[in-house]
Amino acid sequence: MRIEIGPVTRIEGHLNVLTTIEDNTIVEAKCVGEMFRGFEMILKGRDPLDAQQITQRICGVCPYAHAIASSYAQEQAYGLQPPANGRILHNLIQGANHLYDYLLHFYQLAALDFVDITAVLKYQGKDASLVKVREWVKAELASGKKYPAAPFLPRQDGRYLEDTEANISAIKNYLEAMEMQIIGNQAAAIFGGKFPHATAIFPGGCTQEARIDLIAAYRSKIKKVRNFIHEKYLGDILAVAGAFPDYWQIGVSPGNMLSYGMLPLGPAPDSDRLMAGGVLMGNQMTPVDFDAITQDVGHSKYSSASGQSVRHSAITPAPHKKAGYSWIKAPRYHDQVMEVGPAARVLVDYHQSHNPQIRQLVDHFAGQAGIKPAQLNSVLGRHLSRGICAVVIADFLLAETERLEPGAPTMAELNIPAEAEGFGATEASRGALLHYLRLEDHKIATYECVVPTTWNSSPQDDQGRPGAMESALVGTKVADPQQQIEANRIIRSFDPCMACSVH
Amino acid sequence: MQRRMFLKMAATLVGAFGVTGLPLPVQAALKRLDPRTIPKLIYLQGLSCSGCSISLLQSTSTSPLEMITDYSQLVFHTDLSATSGQQAMALIDDYINGNAGDYFLALEGSIPAAMPEACIIGHRPIADIIAQAAKTMSGAVAVGTCACDGGIPAAEGNPTGAVGLAEFLATKKINKPLIQIPGCSVHPDWLWQTIVHLVRVGMPELVNGAPKLFFQRTVHEQCPRYHDFQQEIYAKKLGDKGCLFKLGCLGPVARGDCPTRGWNGGQTWCIDCNAPCIACTSPSFARQKSQPFYRLTELNSQESSR
Repeated sequence: MRIEIGPVTRIEGHLNVLTTIEDNTIVEAKCVGEMFRGFEMILKGRDPLDAQQITQRICGVCPYAHAIASSYAQEQAYGLQPPANGRILHNLIQGANHLYDYLLHFYQLAALDFVDITAVLKYQGKDASLVKVREWVKAELASGKKYPAAPFLPRQDGRYLEDTEANISAIKNYLEAMEMQIIGNQAAAIFGGKFPHATAIFPGGCTQEARIDLIAAYRSKIKKVRNFIHEKYLGDILAVAGAFPDYWQIGVSPGNMLSYGMLPLGPAPDSDRLMAGGVLMGNQMTPVDFDAITQDVGHSKYSSASGQSVRHSAITPAPHKKAGYSWIKAPRYHDQVMEVGPAARVLVDYHQSHNPQIRQLVDHFAGQAGIKPAQLNSVLGRHLSRGICAVVIADFLLAETERLEPGAPTMAELNIPAEAEGFGATEASRGALLHYLRLEDHKIATYECVVPTTWNSSPQDDQGRPGAMESALVGTKVADPQQQIEANRIIRSFDPCMACSVH
Repeated sequence: MQRRMFLKMAATLVGAFGVTGLPLPVQAALKRLDPRTIPKLIYLQGLSCSGCSISLLQSTSTSPLEMITDYSQLVFHTDLSATSGQQAMALIDDYINGNAGDYFLALEGSIPAAMPEACIIGHRPIADIIAQAAKTMSGAVAVGTCACDGGIPAAEGNPTGAVGLAEFLATKKINKPLIQIPGCSVHPDWLWQTIVHLVRVGMPELVNGAPKLFFQRTVHEQCPRYHDFQQEIYAKKLGDKGCLFKLGCLGPVARGDCPTRGWNGGQTWCIDCNAPCIACTSPSFARQKSQPFYRLTELNSQESSR
């Protein structure tokens, strides 16, 4: 039985998933990226300094990661090193963006698959915001409308959290998270200029000053977000995990993990990073080699050559291609399917015993949940990994503000060569993000982005091997094959961004 | 616009974004409206990055709580709706086929006019969905530069033939009320306060289809560094203070009130961070490969020839 579960909502953009169901089990899944804009074609021939602006428009959810990756790539191409303050401001902007994104993902995007919003009707307390929501839901349900309480109803059938207290607490935190994500973004915008789409990020640093009043305002906002992470977010992840323990075994990808690491600890291009990059295959760790990345298009809607390296990428869209079922390409690392994202970020660092705080948090929470660290490769594992990243990043950002030298330069002077090339790699909230550019005669000759959801929501490669998310769906039992809330939970655990994946 | 049409539109938008914060007489008037008859808002995305949706969530002029509890008329938004899949598609179809009552369409993102397969929702090209909606909707709001003028998906070299909503509706010879709110991304206040204006004094006066209240004057005219411009105090390199014109600042061609409104709670905006304006509200935003955002190369060559 073939059933489509798209359009999938509460993700970024346009995703369909074609499933084949036998005996209430998913035996095949195909992820279909349904939106294409052609960014690499738009970038070709442009001034290179347009790139950190234009690539932000690939994704309005994680634009700062694109600005940072583009800046790194240009810095390598120009032989440019930002002043210490400049790199720190890059970090403050990018890190705050991660915090907002984790909260938005867990509460606004993923939680409605687990939390029973109708539990608010049973609320007996006096909290003004919950009373307001309760009265609103009541009035909506009594209104006789065709679709009352939209956009929260209708919803998919399935088992939701049964504990009223836990539901009400999560709903309260859903509302508070809406405010926290604003505060996180306000912190980033202090130095970025605005969110979404920062104008102050450049290769070589940031145009905003390291002024003491700005630093104080930034710290105050990050502290608020950090408190929410510790007091509410981690607890809600564990509450969901406690009520849905099966999901430590559901949504498991083939298990190869790729992370580029993020938040460099100094201005030099080879600086150590807060979280280390690497490639984890089985128990084998290797450093990242960008030349090992190729992208197949046998099942993608392009007529250009399959298996191209990042350096030699070029696309020719072929919307009517019969074998192509997705606009997403199929990236592979040494020909292997990779998962990227929070679980990869945490596991790659953990396996190198690199950041002691990550080691301690993984051991602590794995012990508490009774899982092995490898089980971070699961629906709950991805949620928990985001929580771990949030804790580590929030602490780092506060420490990083102390390292700013008020009044010292934040921007290096730019001298752009006519011919050059560069790679820029960092972690977007959704995972490993790589930008590559090559200049000819002062213009962009090639620009290529290999983006987190390109890896995770990859279609089959030319050998017919499914991508990470497609694999993670296979074998899942679904109570209702038409709706498949179980599959929806798996998909959202990857936090797919379709605008990023195709661009 | 007829008064009846205006009231419908106002009610839709207010329903979507909340009543609190409006003047008391307006709130009182809205409370008299029968919730069963208030038209609904369907928010769809074409060739978009979701940046405008995310920006709308950054609104501080109405709190997120108000946005949730007073959001009852937002029948569909892909980022917030609990519903998904065929259930979601059935809801959208119900409205655009005219079977679920009056509604307004909000569109974020542009429409791939030359390659319909480049944006599909539930097997249907967004172009077909909008063409169908255009027959039944009471009116539309184009949210952001992509929906207004095509934006970056319509930049030179694009393969999809992306166009904005106004151009799309014009080629289909559809004449329905349309408000265009540009910006890459849109500023949450520009949408929200447009609704306030609609409710208090009616359809806002438009400049090139956008509310005059926000888009009458250029960034340059209102810039706090206008004095630097007059005194010819120019930034020479990125990170300098002073007028950013010689670095390529496009404030003179960008309409919008960023200098007085600020972003993200009003605390900051591009030029305040010494970042040249890139004219993200302009119909020609990022359009030509030969017109870069910055003019650093030009400035360097002038310096070296002195």
